[in-house]
Amino acid sequence: MSIYSAAVKKPVTTALIFVAVVIIGIFSLTRLAVDLLPEIESNVILVMTAYPGASSSDIETNVSRPLENSLNSVSDLKNITSMSRENMSIVMMEFEYGADIDVATNDVRDNLEMVKSMLPDDAESPVIFKFGTENIPILLLSVTAEESTNALYKILDDQVANPLARISGVGAVSISGTPVREVQVYCDPYKLEAYGMTIEAISSIISQENRNTPAGSIDIGSNTYSLRVQGEFTDSKQLLDLVLGSQNGKTIYLRDIARIDDTVAERAQEVYNNGTRGGMIVIQKQSGANSVNIAKSVHAKLPEIQAGLPSDVKLGVIVDTSTNITNTINSLIETIIITFLIVMLVVFVFLGRWRATFIIVLTIPISLIAAFAYLYASGNTLNIISLSSLSIAIGMVVDDAIVVLENITTHIERGSNPKQAAVHATNEVSLSVIASTLTMLAVFLPLTMTSGIAGILFKQLGWIVSIIMIVSTLAALTLTPMLSSQMLRLNLKKGKLYMLFFTPIEKALDALDHFYSKFLHWSVRHRKTVIFGAFMIFAAVMLLVPTIKTEFFPTQDNARIGVTIELPVGTRQEITRDLAVQINSEFTEKYPEIDVINFSEGQADSDNTFAQLSSSGTNIISFNISLSSVEERERGLLEICELMRKDLDQYSEIKKFQVQAGGSTGGMGGETSVDIEIYGYDFEATDAMAQNIAAKMRNYKVVSQVDISREDYIPEYQVDFDREKLAINGLNVTTASMYLRNRINGSTASQYREEGDEYDIRVRYAPEFRQSLEDIENIILYNAMGNGVRIRDLGVVVERMNPPTIERKNRERVITVSAIVAADAALSDVVAAANSEMRAMQMPSDITWQIGGTYETQQETFADLAGLSVLIIILVFIVMAAQFESLVDPFVIMFSIPFAAVGVVLGLSITQTPLGVMALIGAIMLLGIVVKNGIVLIDYTILCRERGMSVLTAVVTAGKSRLRPVLMTTLTTVLGMLPLALGTGEGSEMWRSMGMTVAWGLAVSTMITLVIVPVVYSVFAANGIKRRRRAIRKSVMRKQQTRLEMVNN
Amino acid sequence: MKAVFISFNQAYQYAIVQIMDRNNLRGYTYWETVQGRGTKTGEPHYGSHAWPTLNGAILTMIDAEKVDNFLNLLHELDKKTEALGLRAFVWNVEKSI
Repeated sequence: MSIYSAAVKKPVTTALIFVAVVIIGIFSLTRLAVDLLPEIESNVILVMTAYPGASSSDIETNVSRPLENSLNSVSDLKNITSMSRENMSIVMMEFEYGADIDVATNDVRDNLEMVKSMLPDDAESPVIFKFGTENIPILLLSVTAEESTNALYKILDDQVANPLARISGVGAVSISGTPVREVQVYCDPYKLEAYGMTIEAISSIISQENRNTPAGSIDIGSNTYSLRVQGEFTDSKQLLDLVLGSQNGKTIYLRDIARIDDTVAERAQEVYNNGTRGGMIVIQKQSGANSVNIAKSVHAKLPEIQAGLPSDVKLGVIVDTSTNITNTINSLIETIIITFLIVMLVVFVFLGRWRATFIIVLTIPISLIAAFAYLYASGNTLNIISLSSLSIAIGMVVDDAIVVLENITTHIERGSNPKQAAVHATNEVSLSVIASTLTMLAVFLPLTMTSGIAGILFKQLGWIVSIIMIVSTLAALTLTPMLSSQMLRLNLKKGKLYMLFFTPIEKALDALDHFYSKFLHWSVRHRKTVIFGAFMIFAAVMLLVPTIKTEFFPTQDNARIGVTIELPVGTRQEITRDLAVQINSEFTEKYPEIDVINFSEGQADSDNTFAQLSSSGTNIISFNISLSSVEERERGLLEICELMRKDLDQYSEIKKFQVQAGGSTGGMGGETSVDIEIYGYDFEATDAMAQNIAAKMRNYKVVSQVDISREDYIPEYQVDFDREKLAINGLNVTTASMYLRNRINGSTASQYREEGDEYDIRVRYAPEFRQSLEDIENIILYNAMGNGVRIRDLGVVVERMNPPTIERKNRERVITVSAIVAADAALSDVVAAANSEMRAMQMPSDITWQIGGTYETQQETFADLAGLSVLIIILVFIVMAAQFESLVDPFVIMFSIPFAAVGVVLGLSITQTPLGVMALIGAIMLLGIVVKNGIVLIDYTILCRERGMSVLTAVVTAGKSRLRPVLMTTLTTVLGMLPLALGTGEGSEMWRSMGMTVAWGLAVSTMITLVIVPVVYSVFAANGIKRRRRAIRKSVMRKQQTRLEMVNN
Repeated sequence: MKAVFISFNQAYQYAIVQIMDRNNLRGYTYWETVQGRGTKTGEPHYGSHAWPTLNGAILTMIDAEKVDNFLNLLHELDKKTEALGLRAFVWNVEKSI
């Protein structure tokens, strides 16, 4: 018994099986997490090696190079880059996407073991650091406070950061902009000298005084008591009364030499939210945790936290990455619903019966919901890719059901009992339904085998569409006949309403049938003209190919902007702050679209995990800007960024700035840039090249910003000690520099404890005594004999330019000039500009260049996808050849593929959409979709011929009879793509080009396929007949000849 | 005793068996799928790509007096939906055990 007769005979079982599928799907849906993209495992490993005291070129030769040479042999390694700066070598290894990073980490560790012995003795052990998505902050909270400002750090640490860090999935919670309390012991160097004291001595006295010591136990009478000395300070003021020693019989107190400021750390990052000073809390997630869930829990926790805070401390949200995710997903869900309605409408218009429409449309939710079960079982999330796969599939899942239902209706109209009709009609079409599903699988299953970044993205798409197609075919073969047998009745009478609505539609479709059959009749009799015409159309449209621009991924408008502004190194924090406030107010005024603007400047604290990963300093300002949502504003993200760049250009004091659309989220959807990598050993030569090309690139309109990776030489003061003089005075460089450090940076003497928290007690020169070079030169160092010598007698203080970080890529020194693509330009424009400028440039023979960055990834992905299309075409051909048991027929059907390309090129060129990965995926899907029309046509033509018609009559009859099914399935797919192609919601940039490609490609290819495939078929069929006739004639002749010979003999 | 051979579109099977039941015609032999085509009208039933429909066939031995009524009923069924196709042929049974 076949499955369809079983299904018809057991309607309850069949219905309940699908109900079960739906329930499992819905159950999975409620448990699915939401995310923007499928999980992308990090593919970067950093190896950090400290070599204290070495200059950047020492580091390069002695640390970075040996490491690179050894690590280069790790498998799956794509690029190896290194940064050698003073004291530190950072080797960054980028692996192929999809490589097992744990295996790679082990390989790296093994290699490091081997190379360790080759590193300098003083170099510390290399540390492996995996950089992953967990390092991207998912939530930035703002904190404003009035009275509580000085205690803010403690309040936030205890009452906000700790509870937040306990939420599952939350990684690090860092607090910025709130200085940490510190007890400062500011000494006067003159008094120190007068009393013969040193910073070191004071430090050690403080540390010895500030101590609790347990003294053991003592038995008194029948009891045992423990004995303790509680020496710790209970108030910072007690420090003033410390006795340091005595001179001339007088006791020296600390208050004689120093003052105590119980205040905050001197250098701290300052944060402003919407123009007012406050703090910022950065929340990072744990690796693999779900951003949306975490953001939800954090939001749920915030009111509770807020209630426990002092009344003047207010928490707010600066950036919430989950809003963008939620909005994007919501706009996709909206798209899916619209698509569903459109498809339903198309089916209803063509069939004109609500029962039939219901049966067909029912397969959509069933197969889509089944896909959720797959997502849940495979641990995936609801994301752009999985949801747009659903949207793509909607138009295609109804095809099988339509074919089955149409045949059942024919049988019923011929007089069969619905039950019998359902079984036999399904039996008749089951093979062709399965074959057409197989062609779709031939397209979508190979997608699951792609490598690289495309593989990660499209693996889900491939699986989901494949699963949906399989479920929908199963539903078409069981549920559709079952429902048809229960619901369809022979009903020749039609209602008045039906007549009113459907008579015009019926008439229009009849007219279309008539026109098409006439045109086909003419075409098959003018084969040469038609084929020539089609070829001309193909050639003419292919001339448009050079006008198509290419890109990697479209920039997504996620309403976030990150701005980093760098002033000359060494700019005082006050000056930086003034400028930041000025820019802040200018931005707020000029761009009413800004929802939240937050900036931070100043040196970040070393225990701030987030700040450590980004650069900070007294000269660096970083802005985080959140705009209102896309629907609410007229200016796009890129447009606003461009205007901001123009604004920042006006400030002459800014050395360097970077406006990053999309914030510092990294990954897909950010702004695209073209990296020109210039390789060469000579600093000066490559610097000059980089400056030159940067200047030229800035002149292009398609470029909105140009950055050079190599930093400028940094000015700094260095104290050059004379070793001989040091030796004479019984000192060495280490002790001398320690003295220097303790006086300027301060020495942490001890910890002051209060309410369970510890604060540093820092002893150093008072700020007014460390403001000039003389102050430094006057610092007195004491040797072991207690004799003081001033620094100016031991060496000189000189200003030097410190060489920048040495960057290397793939074992060569490199300098990268990155050009950011302007709002209305595409990646290919900038690549073309860069190529022409670089080629025009005079270049020394030892300097080479190449274009990397997004362009490199784009080229790799495009090559991957091109290889994939070839594989898919071969597979589709095999499936069709098996179905027709012929090599010629599938070849004829393949003629629709070039015309799909015509549609794609036409669409991209007319709408000026750049060809990116998404559009290419759309084109690949087309390979499967367009041949389906050809299959339907050719299948029926063969049937007509088998029924004894001549080739030409068969072609025309088949065309006329199959026009409606072809138009119907095409319309459901094309109109189903329209909501994707025309979407304006948040995140719609991502799938717009894909929807557009499929809609255009399928529409144009269907129109041409309807003519060219029958015509080409008739050519091949006519040739086949001629060949057969010739063969018959030959064999007849041969027989006659043999007979003649026999007679003659 | 007469032998009645009925060749029909598969879709009729249920209806024919019902008629037989109602008329107390118990015994029959049934071939689920047979192929064939009509002498004058009707589409061939080959179960092939070109002619996907299939026939069924029933051979039943019934009392001579029941034949006419049975054939009339079958003819009525055929008239209702001529597109499907149903034919019946009757001949004598010489002997049986």
